[in-house]
Amino acid sequence: MPDTTAVFAPGDLVRTYGHDPVHHTRLPRYARGKLGVVVEPEGFAPLADVRSQGRDDAPVEMIYAVRFSARELWGEGDHEVVLDLSQSYLEAADVR
Amino acid sequence: MARINDVGGMTGFGVIDTSDDAEPFHADWEARVFALQRALLVKKVFNLDEFRDAIETMPPQEYLAASYYERWFHAIRTLLERKGVIEPGALDHA
Repeated sequence: MPDTTAVFAPGDLVRTYGHDPVHHTRLPRYARGKLGVVVEPEGFAPLADVRSQGRDDAPVEMIYAVRFSARELWGEGDHEVVLDLSQSYLEAADVR
Repeated sequence: MARINDVGGMTGFGVIDTSDDAEPFHADWEARVFALQRALLVKKVFNLDEFRDAIETMPPQEYLAASYYERWFHAIRTLLERKGVIEPGALDHA
């Protein structure tokens, strides 16, 4: 059973966390602190950040496909990058 | 801490060589390492996230010098030692 309910919907603006965690994580450095758009929720999974520590209490969270513009990630380019990101990597964002 | 595996967007590594991608293994030991990893996951000796963490926390100079399945073997050895399945050093010369 999921420990959280899905809170983001397709089209929602989100921002990823910006810090550098001491443990394993599934958010690559190049996408930290970046603004993206939720494409769709993809399903629930145990949070890798906790599960990677050998703990059995990892929260089961929704994973979202999130789309980022190349300009947001790299400062240039016209393509887009879609990443699968756990819910706790994301917070609701307002348009800058 | 940022880890040595996390190089998305970094330039200077050259073109990715995909010329021999049709062949999954380049030596018998690679296939055995692959099978061993699957077996240990199924037996719940470790989970996939622990396995990824063990690869990422290799010393950077070792990580960069190692091939794909050498990294897998390093992670298996690290986790088996950490969990007390094997004596430390037991697979150092495998």
